[in-house]
Amino acid sequence: MMGNGALGRWRRPTWKASVAAAATAVALLVAGCAGGSGGGGGGSNGNVTLTFSQWWAPEMPSGALQNLMDEFHKENPNITVKLISAPFQSLQSQTISQAASGTLPDVVGLDGSWVNPLYKQGALLNLSDAMKKANYDPKDLASQVGYNGSTYMIPVVNFVYPLFTNDAILSQAGISKPPTTWSEFAADAKKISQSGSAKGWVVPLGTTNPNGVQNDILSWAWASGGSMLSNGQPNLTNNPDVTGAVNLVKDLVQSNAVLPGANALQETDKVENFINGRAGMMIDSLAHINTITKGNANLKFSVSAQPVKDGSTGTPGMLTASWGIGISAKTQHSAEAWKLVQFLMDQTNNSKLSTLANGFPGNKTSKPDFTGADPHFQQAFAIYQKSKPVNEFTGLPAADQLMTDFLNEFQKTVAGQESTDTMLSNVQNQWKQQF
Amino acid sequence: MTAISKQAPTTARTAASRRAVRRGAARTGLYAGLTAGAIFAGFPVLWMLSSSFKSNANIFAYPPKLFDGSFSFAPYLAVFSDPVEIGYFANSYIVALSVTVVTLVVALLTGYVFSRYEFPLKRIISIVIIGVQAVPPITLLIPFFGIMVALGLYNTYQGLIITYVVFTLPYAVIMMTAYFDSLPKEVDEAAKVDGASSMSILWRILVPISVPGMVSVGLYTFMISWNEYLFALTLTQTDDRRTVPVGIQLLMGQNNYLWNEVMAMSILGSIPVLVLFLIFQRYFIGGLAAGAVKS
Amino acid sequence: MTSSLSMAQNDQRKRAAAPAPRRHHRTLKERLEPYLLIAPTVLLILGLMVVPIAIVIGYSLYDNVVTNPNPVFVGAANYVTILTSPAFWGAAGNTLVFTVASVVAHMVIGMAFAMMLNSKTMARVPRAIFRAIYILPWIFTASVVAVLWRLLLDPSGVINYLLTSLGVVHDAVPWLGTASTALLAVTVINIWSGYPFFMISLLAGLQNVSTDLYEAARVDGAGFFRQFASVTLPALRPILYSMALLDLLWTTQQFTLIWATTGGGPLGATEMLSTFTYKLAFNSYQFSMASTSAVLVLAASLIVAVFYVRRQRKEAQ
Repeated sequence: MMGNGALGRWRRPTWKASVAAAATAVALLVAGCAGGSGGGGGGSNGNVTLTFSQWWAPEMPSGALQNLMDEFHKENPNITVKLISAPFQSLQSQTISQAASGTLPDVVGLDGSWVNPLYKQGALLNLSDAMKKANYDPKDLASQVGYNGSTYMIPVVNFVYPLFTNDAILSQAGISKPPTTWSEFAADAKKISQSGSAKGWVVPLGTTNPNGVQNDILSWAWASGGSMLSNGQPNLTNNPDVTGAVNLVKDLVQSNAVLPGANALQETDKVENFINGRAGMMIDSLAHINTITKGNANLKFSVSAQPVKDGSTGTPGMLTASWGIGISAKTQHSAEAWKLVQFLMDQTNNSKLSTLANGFPGNKTSKPDFTGADPHFQQAFAIYQKSKPVNEFTGLPAADQLMTDFLNEFQKTVAGQESTDTMLSNVQNQWKQQF
Repeated sequence: MTAISKQAPTTARTAASRRAVRRGAARTGLYAGLTAGAIFAGFPVLWMLSSSFKSNANIFAYPPKLFDGSFSFAPYLAVFSDPVEIGYFANSYIVALSVTVVTLVVALLTGYVFSRYEFPLKRIISIVIIGVQAVPPITLLIPFFGIMVALGLYNTYQGLIITYVVFTLPYAVIMMTAYFDSLPKEVDEAAKVDGASSMSILWRILVPISVPGMVSVGLYTFMISWNEYLFALTLTQTDDRRTVPVGIQLLMGQNNYLWNEVMAMSILGSIPVLVLFLIFQRYFIGGLAAGAVKS
Repeated sequence: MTSSLSMAQNDQRKRAAAPAPRRHHRTLKERLEPYLLIAPTVLLILGLMVVPIAIVIGYSLYDNVVTNPNPVFVGAANYVTILTSPAFWGAAGNTLVFTVASVVAHMVIGMAFAMMLNSKTMARVPRAIFRAIYILPWIFTASVVAVLWRLLLDPSGVINYLLTSLGVVHDAVPWLGTASTALLAVTVINIWSGYPFFMISLLAGLQNVSTDLYEAARVDGAGFFRQFASVTLPALRPILYSMALLDLLWTTQQFTLIWATTGGGPLGATEMLSTFTYKLAFNSYQFSMASTSAVLVLAASLIVAVFYVRRQRKEAQ
């Protein structure tokens, strides 16, 4: 097996035989097998196989997405969907590599932070055209992501990021209800940190996945109706909402009101620390409700809107992340691919999909199915309906790099190396290079 | 210390007892060192093992406990009851074993040439083989992927196997060359004078006495092919071609992290390598193969 | 010469008798032989390493490949940008510290463990058990090693728990989250996961060291350290040298471990050339810049390779 046995038995070794053996082995490897080349295969009998790459299947109950695809096949007997599930962490580099070599699957799951480079690569199909061809009226779509007036990505399921509070920890600190304003939030976080072993808040500022910038820093500005952009350009300096958000988080980190080691924490670490009672509050994806109840069935917690800037009025913003969908520009079956997108955006199917994913539908007319769902889920939906979904990073060029730049400078200001104003003007300059 | 022992054998008895004491002390020291090393090496793995039996939430409990109330085999059962995950293991075996055999055969030939021949292009080829290894694989991802698609090897075992053969060859070649270099040239020169063909020398003289080296190269090759993630993911598309590391990564999702199953699958994934090592470790015991070189 | 070899030799002698008349052909065949034997290696490396690398070198000469459908040739401009970038040199510095510390520690620990495991005073069973334990760190895929150590080094993880309980540190230290300790922490993780590879190769090498040499050294009155310096080290030198070189090259491109533990942070304390390059490629989609950075790493490693080959040649003479 490991060479010795096999080689030892070579009774009559000659160099010709050795070379021949090695050459055959190599040739077999190189020449062998032509199957499995990417893209979808079209049958001569009109049957079409669509490939659909996504990270959704592993996030949903086992087999749930496949069942939905089987239903699609029942409705469209000539179209079979082959699911290609990949880990979310690596799907971005996969998708970019596939696009570069022209092997992007027919239908692709997209994240708001990598739709831009794919669009620039020319790898995505213009969905506005596809809709027109199919006579589809997009009036029910909650949102669309596009460039130059055309759509390239449609958010299928939206995940909101409300405030989670641990009831026991709050009451132990003498707090009767979840905070609703920045100052209440800051005061509560400090109170919790001083009253027991738990910290007030958990904020992940690790650079592996810099989305703490979006979820835990800038979300404060967005919740209060603020914006980091102005006419599509970065607008971080002289922006009271952004400055306020940065100062809020900085103050809490500096006064040790957050879980220690924030610089190494990732989004994935929030839930476990929350379940284990190490942090009293977190801004986190509603999709984690099941993880929380499974992890600690006895935990009493509340879900509320992210606190807003003191004195802020108007419709509050609510941080939203999406599972987006797009179609490969190189697909041989654009009509069939669009049919699949349309199927997923359809009122009933979209509702089914979002319920399975613990998210909210991308179709405005769909309602999540609350039967048997966690009561927090319904509460969150009520908040969601009252607020404006927002995520300003979606579709921006090099969104990950923007967040990394922001995070690096933020770490500096927390470490006392520069003021908030210096930090924001540095980030502003770095961002301008990307736009 | 040794000087004393040479000069002072006034009575055989004291010398013998002193030697016994010294040997005892040496053994105690050895075991103390071994135990310290074992803690360094084994404790993190022990922790992984204990985590694989905990519930997801309890893995992060404080104070951390080696075993707690949530002990269960559920994470292992979850892995075993999923035919897709079993398939990952089968794929890993197919790929890793094939790579090991191909790499060893090819590297033996090349190592032999590098160790025993002088020829004009030798230096430049060595430099290329060694130098190419420091290129961050992530930057090769896009061109490599393009080549594999062009060769029709995308999403095939062959594609993965040939990739890992290329990745493991430089090490295998360098090490086989080094092992052959450490064997005295007189051994094969004597045979050559007797008229043996170079291939006879390689397969019948050098290979049998290089078994420890081959085992270590083989283990390395198996390890790399068993554990590689980036290319395993990039070059495969469907579950029926994917290997264990991809399966493990699929358990660490965007919203869904099955820490205990990750640990369980890692433990299960490490068993084949451990078993191979235990089978082949007899080759590390002195005297078996090395006897031939001692002269 | 022991019996096994002389038997083989006798065997050779017998077999060699037959093809003797063809001996005059040998010169040409001998000259071609090495090329034929290394052909598989050369073809594989050429096709699947050198060609992709050549493509990457090509990328580095354009303004922006992959995302830009019509890239423009810019010559050495990318090299100027990268070589004048303080971030690149910062990453190069961290990589150097990380790599040198890792290689030295791998070598020392690998050697110490191999010597201990090779000790004749140990019974077979404990030796087998210790061997198995000692290779454990090696057999896990890098992303799992990262997950495991993040867990161990967490402020509420077991290492901090033990350190605070024993009073070594007063408050839990976020090892990976503190700029001053993060580089140390990732280096320790890399040392842990990499030494068994040295150990195994050295263990194999130790089997080729003649016991007669030790015997002779002992008769000459050499103690443990003298024996080590005058017998063990010289015998293992070719292996040690090759391993150190390989480890140097591999550690330079260590990516997964760093990426999955710190992502290069905090405050860039663990930013390596590999993470720097990755961020250029997949965070800012500047594939040409990423290629440039990769080519610079390649150039440095080729220099190392040249020294290695030159030294080996000297040794052979």
